[in-house]
Amino acid sequence: MTVRIRTLEEIVRPPQTADSPFSTQEYFVNMGPQHPIAHGSLRLVLLLDGETVRRVIPAPGYVHRGIEKMAESLTYRQIVHLTDRMDYLSALMNNWALSKTVEEAGGIATNPRIETIRTLMAELQRVQSHILWWGVLGMDLGAFTAFLYAFRDREIIGEIFEDTIGARLTMNYIQPGGLMFDVHPDFARKVKKLIVYLRTILDEYDTLLSGNAILQERLRNIGVLTPEKALALGCTGPVLRASGVPYDLRKAEPYGVYDQVEFDVVIGSRGDCWDRYYARIEEIRQSLRILEQLIDNIPPGPTMVTKFAERIKIPEGAYYGQMETARGVLGVFLVSDGRADTPYRIHFRSPNFNNLWAITALAPGWRIADLIAIQSSLDLVIPDIDR
Amino acid sequence: MDAEALLEVLIASEPAARKRDKTNRTAIQAPVENLLPLMKRLRQDERLAFDLLLDHTAIDWLAEGRFELVYNLYSTIHGHSLMVFTSVPRDNPLAPTVSEIWPTAHWQEREVFDLFGVLYDDHPDLRRLFLDDDWKGNPLRKDYQDDSMLARPQ
Amino acid sequence: MGIALEKISGVLQKFPGGSVLATSFDAVANRARANSLWPLAFGTKCCAIEMLMATGGPFQDMARFGSEVARQSPRQADFMVIAGAIVRKMAPCVRLLYEQMAEPRYVMATGSCAISGGPFLYNSYTIIRGVDEIIPVDVYVPGCPPRPEAFFWGLLTLQKMIREGESLRAPGIRRKPVTAALPQGITLQDIREEMRRLLEAENVVDVTKATEARAWTEKVEQWTQKHCLRF
Repeated sequence: MTVRIRTLEEIVRPPQTADSPFSTQEYFVNMGPQHPIAHGSLRLVLLLDGETVRRVIPAPGYVHRGIEKMAESLTYRQIVHLTDRMDYLSALMNNWALSKTVEEAGGIATNPRIETIRTLMAELQRVQSHILWWGVLGMDLGAFTAFLYAFRDREIIGEIFEDTIGARLTMNYIQPGGLMFDVHPDFARKVKKLIVYLRTILDEYDTLLSGNAILQERLRNIGVLTPEKALALGCTGPVLRASGVPYDLRKAEPYGVYDQVEFDVVIGSRGDCWDRYYARIEEIRQSLRILEQLIDNIPPGPTMVTKFAERIKIPEGAYYGQMETARGVLGVFLVSDGRADTPYRIHFRSPNFNNLWAITALAPGWRIADLIAIQSSLDLVIPDIDR
Repeated sequence: MDAEALLEVLIASEPAARKRDKTNRTAIQAPVENLLPLMKRLRQDERLAFDLLLDHTAIDWLAEGRFELVYNLYSTIHGHSLMVFTSVPRDNPLAPTVSEIWPTAHWQEREVFDLFGVLYDDHPDLRRLFLDDDWKGNPLRKDYQDDSMLARPQ
Repeated sequence: MGIALEKISGVLQKFPGGSVLATSFDAVANRARANSLWPLAFGTKCCAIEMLMATGGPFQDMARFGSEVARQSPRQADFMVIAGAIVRKMAPCVRLLYEQMAEPRYVMATGSCAISGGPFLYNSYTIIRGVDEIIPVDVYVPGCPPRPEAFFWGLLTLQKMIREGESLRAPGIRRKPVTAALPQGITLQDIREEMRRLLEAENVVDVTKATEARAWTEKVEQWTQKHCLRF
């Protein structure tokens, strides 16, 4: 029986490599919590040999607020606003994951109008999140113009959300039992205009960044993730699909109205950074397809099936619900003791937490600039890692 | 493989495993001594082929004096999913590591070690994950005391 | 630049009428400082998307207020926007970043998490309830996340403070902090004391005491009734 507890200081001790050809010495460098590429507050301890990365030790926890402990004293409706603040770029999808699990566990059945609007909002948010990721990837690799273009388009989608929901970033809209508000009367018109606009914009993005020789050099054949390794590391979402594994929860375990729309699952062939990059651009196109099919066919009905002030009680047991956010599978594991209206234990299976560790397998052997490209292509949102 | 056939195959091959009720997914319960061979079989058997460990977490049953460890598995080949529950006593929380079978468990187990204090046998790098290395206590335990926590008034 | 101008203003003061010239220097220097605040690109959570990225984007455009260049290193920045929750593990890093900035330096706490702990006030075991427990803050911008327009209100308030309050002769000494969008007649000290009293009272779990002591909410209610649109 060997249980040995270690600390970070033990690992980060300067090693001596006397037998390397140029008499280089390996050294530890902190890519600390404040860093332009950190996407939040992620600390990476790098073991470098010159400019080549030998080992990456992520040290998360700089945004760990203890959401799971806090949620044990909040009712289910009150936890929804905390889920917004985990992966804030797919806030609506986080809300939906929790609402879905509570509804499955509590036996609350929603109606087609609620499900259609939820699907529409989730796909809009997926488009918005991928556009922001695209801009930030451009900024990380040095192309700041991409950032400005991405934020221009993100604001247009943000206005559509603001008409209906009232918030730009932390939505708190999809509740167990339905939605907070009904959609704005202008919603369908604006979304249809947006779909036409975004189709031309995606061509502009391709001209600006995807076809750029420098970007292709920096992304092609860098950080190849084989499908077996991706599954072993627990990656899901575009990272896994770019490696060739066709696991998309919208097709594997359909929820919402995804089984009534036609769209393709985007799969890559090689699993390098370029595949992860282009898979997300293609996913935007597929999301636009879904939006087009649903926007004119929202069935009528109420938008909340339970009374808003009613306390939801869940029978005793352990429940698990999951859905596909912009970054991967977000799962909600809920344990209820049957008596209180707060959960006994709630755990979020966070997609970013499981995607983060892929960097320990992908980065060694590449240079620092390639590490940046790999990290950007993994599309991490740090508060989701730390919860 | 659908849920009933899966459960039949599992319980036939592992006599100590039982079906667990009160969940909304296929779930079995196994004692912690038989956990490692069970997990190996779940990964390597071709009819089962659980190649993706989605999640590993723990529940603190303070009144019953145990931690319940939960493993959430999915098979991309067959498309079926399974939850495995096991229990370790609270005063001696020792569990085998499955990071040899699914490397993603390496970090999921570190998280459970950090927040609950469950010790994993033969874990390659057992260290705190989210909290400082010198933090005292395990926050997600039900009897965690901390002066800096502000309780919500009822 | 601060030291050179101090020397100049020191020399000028010895001449008759010299302090008038020094005052003009003050005005010029303060105006220059206010209109070229360079923020440190430091964001922890959701507020970073709105406060740092969206305000730098084309629709909101922070560059028109002079904050075009978001520096990555604190040595080159003079304005730190705390955007996001600060937890205990991060607190020494924030303090270090603040210490690394050269004077005159300013701090703006945006978002509820940075002001008081935000949605994580209760039952979180790691959160720091308000970044002003670690570093001195000049402007508070409330919201969760604040709209970019609220951020600009805070930025303009800070610019006004710098133009009026800071002096060349004593750089780094500033007036007491202001909150963008505080109603008239209420100071930050009032709110802090009230909040402390409330929290102490509430934690003794006496709910009636807590509701009776809410004097300041009435003032805020009255101001809101008078000034805000109701529809």
